[in-house]
Amino acid sequence: MNEPLTSSKSYKIDFNGNGSDFFGVIIVNWLLTIVTLGLYYPWAKAKRLQFLYGETSLNGDSFSFHGTGKEMFKGFLKAILIFISLYGLLALFIYLKIPFVGLLLFYLGFIAILPLAIHGSYRYRMSRTSWRGIRFGYRGDRNELTKNFFKWIFFTIISLGLYGSWMSINLRKYLLNNVRFGEIEMNYEGDGGDYFILNLKGYFLTVFTLGIYAFWWQKDLFEYYIDNLSLNKGKDEIQLNSTVTGGGFFKLAFVNLFILIGTLGLGYAWVVTRTMKYIFSNIELEGNIDLDSIQQTEANYKDATGEDISDFLDLDFVM
Amino acid sequence: MKNKTIGVFYDGNSSVPQPIELSFDKGTSMFHFELANNTANSWKLESVSFEKKGMALNLQHGEETVQSIMVKDSDFIRDLTVFRKNNGQLDWYHKLLNLGLTSHAFFAFLIMLFIGLSYVYAIPWVAEKSVVLIPEDYDDKLGSNFFQENMFFSSVDSVKTAALNAFAKELKLKNNKPIKFTVVDSDIVNAFALPDGNIVVYQGILDEMKSYEELVALIGHEVSHVNNRHSMKAICRSLSGYLFISAILGDANGIMATIGDNVNSLQSLSFSREFEHQADLDGFEILVSNGVNPQGMSDLFKRLQQDNTISIPEFLSSHPLTEERISYIDKMIKTRSFEAKTNDKLKGIFEKLKK
Repeated sequence: MNEPLTSSKSYKIDFNGNGSDFFGVIIVNWLLTIVTLGLYYPWAKAKRLQFLYGETSLNGDSFSFHGTGKEMFKGFLKAILIFISLYGLLALFIYLKIPFVGLLLFYLGFIAILPLAIHGSYRYRMSRTSWRGIRFGYRGDRNELTKNFFKWIFFTIISLGLYGSWMSINLRKYLLNNVRFGEIEMNYEGDGGDYFILNLKGYFLTVFTLGIYAFWWQKDLFEYYIDNLSLNKGKDEIQLNSTVTGGGFFKLAFVNLFILIGTLGLGYAWVVTRTMKYIFSNIELEGNIDLDSIQQTEANYKDATGEDISDFLDLDFVM
Repeated sequence: MKNKTIGVFYDGNSSVPQPIELSFDKGTSMFHFELANNTANSWKLESVSFEKKGMALNLQHGEETVQSIMVKDSDFIRDLTVFRKNNGQLDWYHKLLNLGLTSHAFFAFLIMLFIGLSYVYAIPWVAEKSVVLIPEDYDDKLGSNFFQENMFFSSVDSVKTAALNAFAKELKLKNNKPIKFTVVDSDIVNAFALPDGNIVVYQGILDEMKSYEELVALIGHEVSHVNNRHSMKAICRSLSGYLFISAILGDANGIMATIGDNVNSLQSLSFSREFEHQADLDGFEILVSNGVNPQGMSDLFKRLQQDNTISIPEFLSSHPLTEERISYIDKMIKTRSFEAKTNDKLKGIFEKLKK
């Protein structure tokens, strides 16, 4: 244990879920959601996430999602309250015959909610995810994120959207660099400029090839995400590496499309499990962190409001 | 039952795997295991939550510090599941989940059937009934906005507009709000009613007509749309159908939503057919009650169908006209008794309306 240099270890990340099991989860969710006139939705979401996380494994041990329907239902109610007050504010100003002030406040409020929702959903999702009983955690600062977020939005607007690439990468960097898994820290090293060029190239080649390049563009984006990601614990490190190919994405999308059309959408469960399987079987981990000696460091966090606001706004960029 | 197996224990504080021998006592419903430092542990069955992970079973225990045991022995897992089932420990959710693919596919079929039935029968009915909740002011606002926007680019024939209004004044229309007619100088063969009582008639359709009875039929038909609030009903139906579909399928996936969208537009098409039928029946009644020969309605439709063999006149495409529509009118003419005599005043105004 006290050797200065630990030799490189082998890691394996996998998705083992099969379509028919996931189909069962979805159908039972649907049934209960309809019977309860929609009230079951938060519980349904918990079941779906529990399945997807539970079927993902690292070195043979599964991840767990501990979030419950009750937590998300409470968050759901708070999220509704926040949206109602926003709309109420707008209605009040329209009633006072100063709709422009109302609209301005409404949009500002909406933008201000975004970083709060992102922050909240990261804290919740990470804290409720574990592997071998060790929790993930998100240590970002809410005020810092909000300040940065407004700054990035401002730059994006005055640069007519050009800054968007930098904004995406800065946001991703801030979020991922604050993710912990026990004492292991996550680290993302992307650059807005590289990302901009990647997208510019992807866009033009996709147009020139009448859309065919889109799969290779997708591959480049995925690679840029995964290859810049690493885990650190003291001096030890795990580097992530993507092995996806444009052809692989093409085949995946093509078959998925056929499944969806052929089953009138009912094959959705198989589409999800196939996609997860493809993605996770194409992420390689290399390094020397000892996964058998991680200590619990992150606290529990059970407020799902941010998670639910993100759900309302369809912000689906939690990892 | 197999009541001993090996498992891996995690203490909730570190990721160190601790191999253990796990035993289950059926009599007391307790799990027992001993750790490497010789501490004995016992978990009550009810305080353990079970999670199936692929082929393995994960047993979790504790609130803040969650301890867990991973078991991979399929015989042990099967026997434990049977035991829990027999002792009523398996909740209804897992019972539903364990029913298997065939039952789930059957559920899916039932759900689709339920959605389909509520979409075709329940939703339109609710939507139509809910029109009562919308104040008539809103119909008026909607209609007059549309009227102003449309008439801005149309040339209104004021002389003929006055004549058509005088024509309508001679008729009992059973209207529940003031009806105002406008004649637009255009070759378009069309007429339409707005929810606020504005009825727009194009010169083109007047030129097609050979008798004043046909004009009465047209007026009767359009007034029925206004009286029954057909526009508002159509809006409510199509909107609620759309909302229903997107609420059900919204988070399922994009393709389903697109399919749903197209189904929705098909459905609104047959809705309007139903409304046309009602307007035809009401129009027929107006003809009869005003002592005008209902043959005018049949003539109007036949003429519109025959005279425009090359391009379908707009009146037909926005008011789907089929052989069926003509045949049920002809049938009513044969079966209903009515008294009709020539109305010279209407005939006189009608002549002025023609070019």
